[in-house]
Amino acid sequence: MNSFFEALIALHIVVGAFFIFVGSFGLLKLPSFMSRLHAPSKSTTLGVGGCLVASMLQLWAAAGTISVHETLITFFLFMTAPVTAHFLALAYLHTQRSIDESLPKPSPNSNWSTLLNEESMTHSNSVRISEKSK
Amino acid sequence: MSIALIVLLPLLGAVFPALMMRLGKNESAIAASSVTILSLVLLLTNIFAISQSTVPQASWPWVPQIDLNASFFVDGLGLLFAVMILGIGLLVTVYARFYLSPQEALGRFFAYLLLFQGAMLGVVLSNNILLLIVFWELTSLSSFLLIGFKSDSQEGRQGARMALAVTAGGGLALLAGMLLLGQVAGSFELTEILKEGEKIRSSPYYLSILALVLIGCFTKSAQFPFHFWLPHAMAAPTPVSAYLHSATMVKAGIFLMLRLWPVLAGTQTWFYVVAGTGVITMLIAAVIALFRDDLKSILAYSTISHLGIMTMLVGFGSEMAVVACVFHVINHAIFKAALFMNAGIVDHETGTRDISRLGGLASLMPISAITATLAAASMVGVPPMNGFLSKEMMLEEVTHATAIGVAWLLPGLVMLASVFSVAYSLRFLLYTYFGPVRNDYPAKPHDPSRGLWLPPACLVVLAILIGLFPEAWAGSITRLASDAALQSKSPKFHLSLWHGWTPALMMSIFAFGCGATALSLYVPVRSIWNKALLPDAKGLYDLSLNACVRLARITTDRSFNGSLHRMLFLFVLAASALGGVVFARSSYERGERELLPINTSMFVGWVLVIVACFVLAWKHQSRLIALLTVNIVGLISSIAFIYLSAPDLALTQIAVEVVTLILMLLALHFLPKEAINEVISWRQYRDIVLSVAVGASVGFLCWAMMTHDFQSISSYYIQHSKPLGGGANVVNVILVDFRGFDTFGEITVIGIAAMAIYAMLDGMLTGPLSATLLKWTSGLRFSPNRHPMMMVVVTRVMLPLAILVACYIFLRGHNLPGGGFIAALVVSIALIMQYMASGFAWADERVHFDYHALIGGGGLIAAITGIGSIVLGKPFLTSGFKYVDFPFIGKVELASVSAFDLGVFLTVVGGVMLALANLSNLGRMTGDGKQ
Repeated sequence: MNSFFEALIALHIVVGAFFIFVGSFGLLKLPSFMSRLHAPSKSTTLGVGGCLVASMLQLWAAAGTISVHETLITFFLFMTAPVTAHFLALAYLHTQRSIDESLPKPSPNSNWSTLLNEESMTHSNSVRISEKSK
Repeated sequence: MSIALIVLLPLLGAVFPALMMRLGKNESAIAASSVTILSLVLLLTNIFAISQSTVPQASWPWVPQIDLNASFFVDGLGLLFAVMILGIGLLVTVYARFYLSPQEALGRFFAYLLLFQGAMLGVVLSNNILLLIVFWELTSLSSFLLIGFKSDSQEGRQGARMALAVTAGGGLALLAGMLLLGQVAGSFELTEILKEGEKIRSSPYYLSILALVLIGCFTKSAQFPFHFWLPHAMAAPTPVSAYLHSATMVKAGIFLMLRLWPVLAGTQTWFYVVAGTGVITMLIAAVIALFRDDLKSILAYSTISHLGIMTMLVGFGSEMAVVACVFHVINHAIFKAALFMNAGIVDHETGTRDISRLGGLASLMPISAITATLAAASMVGVPPMNGFLSKEMMLEEVTHATAIGVAWLLPGLVMLASVFSVAYSLRFLLYTYFGPVRNDYPAKPHDPSRGLWLPPACLVVLAILIGLFPEAWAGSITRLASDAALQSKSPKFHLSLWHGWTPALMMSIFAFGCGATALSLYVPVRSIWNKALLPDAKGLYDLSLNACVRLARITTDRSFNGSLHRMLFLFVLAASALGGVVFARSSYERGERELLPINTSMFVGWVLVIVACFVLAWKHQSRLIALLTVNIVGLISSIAFIYLSAPDLALTQIAVEVVTLILMLLALHFLPKEAINEVISWRQYRDIVLSVAVGASVGFLCWAMMTHDFQSISSYYIQHSKPLGGGANVVNVILVDFRGFDTFGEITVIGIAAMAIYAMLDGMLTGPLSATLLKWTSGLRFSPNRHPMMMVVVTRVMLPLAILVACYIFLRGHNLPGGGFIAALVVSIALIMQYMASGFAWADERVHFDYHALIGGGGLIAAITGIGSIVLGKPFLTSGFKYVDFPFIGKVELASVSAFDLGVFLTVVGGVMLALANLSNLGRMTGDGKQ
C-alpha cells in the first residue's frame, strides 16, 4: 500500500480518536446536564465518522473496492442518536420542573409539551399525531 | 419361536377376555381359558425333547448394548413350574368365573390374571437373568393390580401397596445381585452362568451376590422378616389368593433359589442363612397360624410356613434335599390351591370367613366337606395323601442334616413346627366343617354350583393319585425338575408310601399325636396368646413409612423454602464441593502450552469488566445502576467474542443483551427502584467467602485448561462443515445441522418458557391479583407527552429496514455470520420498539398474527423438516442441499436447513414477543395506566 494512503488513514484514525476523547472528556467535565448532553454527539458523529472514513479508505487502497457498509453505519447512527438525546432532554425537563420559568417558551400561547399539565394538553395535539400515523 | 409364544400368548392375549366380556361372562371365561390351554399345548410339545435331555432354547437380541436378550429355554424345572402355572391357572379361571359376583368386572379380572400368567411364565422360562428381572417386576406389578382389584376397599388398597413396596424393594436388590452375578460369570445367559459355579463361589463378590439375590427371593416368598405382606394380600379376591399367593407367585423365590442352586449353594453361608431363615419362618408362621380366626389368614400363614419348609430344604445343600423341595413344591401347590378354593366356597356360601362363626358345615355342604377333608389331610400329612409323602421326605432330610454341630437342634425345631402345623390344619378342618350345626350363619349354606367345587375336586383327585401312585404320576416330572435344578443327574430315589419304620415316620406319628392333643387344649392357650404383646407388622410398616415421608418433607422444606438466595447458595456450594474433591485428587502441574502476551485493548476490557462487577456489588441497591452494569459486562463479552473472531456469537450476544435489558426494565417498573437496605450479618461474610472461593477456582480452572493441550471436536466440524453441511459458517451449520436435534429442543424450551410467562401474566391480569394491580401505582409522575413524536416516527421508519436486515441476516446465515436466531432477535427488537414508542394498545391493534401461533408454527415447521427426512428413509433431521442456477441471480444454494432455520426464527420471534408484549401490557392495567 502507498505510504501516502497509510498516512491518510492514520490521520483519520487519530482525528476520530481525538474527537471521541473530546466527547468523553466533555461528558465528564461539563457543568450542567443540558451542556453535558451534547458532548457525546461529537463522539458519535466526528469521532466514529473519522474511524469509518479511515476504514473506507483502507478498503479502497488495499482492494480497490468502494464499500458502503460504513455509510450505513453512519446513517443508522444519525437516525438514533438524536432520538436518544431528545428522550434524555425530555426526561430531564420532566424531572426538573423548577427550571420551566427560566426556559423560553416555544410559542406565545403554549409551553413545551413535557411541561404541560394533563388538562392544558390540547386534545388536538394528540389527535393530530395519531391521525398522521394511520 | 414356539417357546417365546408360550410366554407371549398370555401377555398379548390378556386383551381378549376384556373384549369378550361384552358378549358375556361365559365367553370371557372361554377366551381366558383358551389362551391358557393354547400355551399349555405349546409347552407340552417340548416334553419329548426334554425327556431326551436336550433343552429347547430360543434367543433374540433385544438391547444388545446391555446384554439383554430375549432368550427362553425349557428345561425340567421350567417345565414343571410352567405346567403348574398353566394348569392351576386354568382351574382358577373356571373357579373365578363362578366366584366373582355379577357387579365385579370379570373381563378386567381375567386380563390381569393373564398378564400375571404371562409374566410368571416369563420368570420360569427365561434364559437371560436381566429378562428374568423384567418379568419378576411384572409379576409384582400384576399382583398389585390383582390384590387391589376391589379398589374401593381400604384393606385391598393398603394390602396391594404393601405387597408392591416389599416385593418391588426386593426386586431392586435382586437387580443389583443379578448384575453382579452376570459380571462375575461373564455372561447374562443362564445356561452360561450355571456352568460357572466354582468361579462364582470363589469370587470376592459371592457374599454380596448371595445377600442381594436372597433378599429378592425372601421378599417374594414371604420369608421372615419379609413375610408380613402376605397375610395383608389376602384382601384380594379368593381366586387371586388361590393362584398367586399359594401356588405360583410366592413360589417364584423358591424357583429362583432352585435355579441358582448349582451356582450359589454348597457353602456354609448358604446353609446357615437359607436353612436358618427357612426354619425360623416355618416355626413362626406355624405358631401364628394356629391363632388366626380368618380362614384365609390361617391358610396364608400356613403358606408362609410351607414356603419356609421349601427354603429350608433348598438351604440344606444336599442333592436329595433339592429333590424333596421339588416334590414338595408340586404337592403344596395342589393342596394349598384346593384349600384356598375351599375357603372361597365357604365364604361364598355362608357369607363369612370368620372361623368363630362357622362349624358343622359338613352336613350342609357335603361335597365341599369331602374336598376340604382330603385337602386338609394332605396338609397335615396323613397317608395316603401326597402331603404325607413330601412330609416324609422332608423329615428324612432333616434327620440327615446337623446344624452348628448339634444333632438334635434342627429336627427338634422342625418337630415343633410340625406339631403346630398339625394343630392348625386340624383346627381349620374341625372348627369349620365339624361340630354342631349352628343357627346363626349369615347366609344359608348349601353346596355350591359345579363351577365352584369342580376345580378343587380335580386338585384333590390329583393329590390322591400322586399319594397312591407317586412314581407313576409325579416320579418322572420330579426327576426331570431335579436334574435341571442340580444340573446333574439327581440321586437315585424311589417315591412310595411305605419306606419302613424310619425315624421320619416316628417323628410324623409323634407330631400328629402332639398336635391333636394340643388342639384339645386350645382354649386356654388361646387366652394366653390374646394377652401376649405381639409385634404388629402392619403398624411397624406404617410407622416406618410415615417416618420416611416426614424426613423427606423436612429436608425439602428446609432446603427449598422459596428463598432464591438459599437455593443459589446451596447450588453454588454443591458445585464448589464437587470441584474441590476433583481438585484435591489431581496434580497441580502447569501444562506445556506457551502463554501469549496480553493485548492492550483486551486488558483494558478486562479491567472494565472487573470495575463493572465491583460497581454492581457496591451499588446493587439502586436497581437501575445494577442493570446497566450487568449490560456493560455483556457488551464487553461481545467485544471479547469479536476479538476471538466469533462474529456470530458477538451478534447474538448483543441482540440478547438488548432484549434482556428491555425485559428487565419492563419488569423492574413494578419493583421498588431501590432495594431494601440489608443488615450485614454472618450470611454476608459466608457468601463473600464462598464467592471468593468459587471465583478463584474458576480462574484456576481456566488457567489449567488454557495451559494444557487438548484435542477438541471443533476440528471435525471445521473440516466437514462445507462438504457435509453445505455451509461455510461453521457455527450456523453446527446449530441447524450437526446438532439440529439440540436446537430443536432449545426452541421448544423457549416456547415453553414464553408460554409460562404468558400464563403467569395472564393470571395476574384476570385472576384475583388484578384487583391489587389496578390499585398499584408506581408513585412516579408521568409526563403528559406519552409518546414523543421523534421516537414514534423514527421507529416506524426503521421497522421495514429492520425486517429487511433481518431477512438478509437470515438468508446469508449459512455461509456468513448470521442465521435464524439473530434474525429473529432483530425482528423482535424492532417490533417491541413499536410497542414502546406508540403504546401497547396502538401496537396490539395492528399486530394481525397470534404469537402463540408463531411459536407453535415454528416448532411444527422444524419438526416437519426433520420428519421429512424420515419419510425419505434417513434418520430424523438429516439435511440435504443442492446448488441451483437461477437465471439472473447466479448459483444459489437451496438447503433444507433453511426450513429448519425458519422454524427457529418463528419460534424465537413468537416467544420473545409473547413475553415482552404481555409485560408491556401489564403496565396498562395498573393505577398508572388509567392516568
